[in-house]
Amino acid sequence: MKLIRTSKTRLFFQLSEREKRLLLQVLQLYPRVPSAHQPLSKSGRLPDQAENQRLLDEALAEQRAENRKQLQALLANPGRFQQAEAGWHLQLSRSEVEWVLQVLNDVRVGSWVILGSPEGKLEGLDARTAPHFWAMEMAGYFQMQLLEAVEGEK
Amino acid sequence: MAETAAPEIVPGIVQETEDQPKSGLEPGYLVICWNDPVNYMHYVTHVFQIVFGWPRKKAEFHMLQVHEQGKSVLTRESMEKAEHYVHQLQKYSLHATMERDE
Repeated sequence: MKLIRTSKTRLFFQLSEREKRLLLQVLQLYPRVPSAHQPLSKSGRLPDQAENQRLLDEALAEQRAENRKQLQALLANPGRFQQAEAGWHLQLSRSEVEWVLQVLNDVRVGSWVILGSPEGKLEGLDARTAPHFWAMEMAGYFQMQLLEAVEGEK
Repeated sequence: MAETAAPEIVPGIVQETEDQPKSGLEPGYLVICWNDPVNYMHYVTHVFQIVFGWPRKKAEFHMLQVHEQGKSVLTRESMEKAEHYVHQLQKYSLHATMERDE
């Protein structure tokens, strides 16, 4: 996946057939981070902590629902990927790049959580853990491609 | 120019000062990002730039602090603003919390 062109509002990427398939597989895993996974505070010393935690969880759930809706629209739009000579072209607006980054990182972090949040290198992959490890690494790969494209522009 | 009225002090009432933030409007809350082994350094820098509007250098400074020291205090804000920033950072799946500045 590489950036081939930019306009004021959009970025144009080229993907091989295999990259397109993998990207779609990874995106379809969203959402992966369990809801109410993140605490608002570690110390637990905030006023109305329980209520504020509930509001944060609700806001994040709404965000996930919105991302999911946008993602389904993207996946259902046949014009989003245009067949090209060497694979496919994908165009994303600048705001879409931001939410695709959020979606990919959710898949990455959520897969890591499913793997037991290992601190170091994961050892001893098996039939149960391998798919989650794959999802974590693939999401990371596409994330880095998008970040390089955004940063390369600056 | 209008005169400024002198503050009225009622005799017999002792005014106490608290060492804790009096309201959610006071900047008594720290927004902290914690280290984890899953988020890429590039990604964390990018998110700091987007959420706080920081230049790359400042975002990298805080990212390295998270990476090397385990956490970084990103900003000190009122309760509402701190909640807003925690929400934004968690939206990107960063490990961020807010804590009372004591």
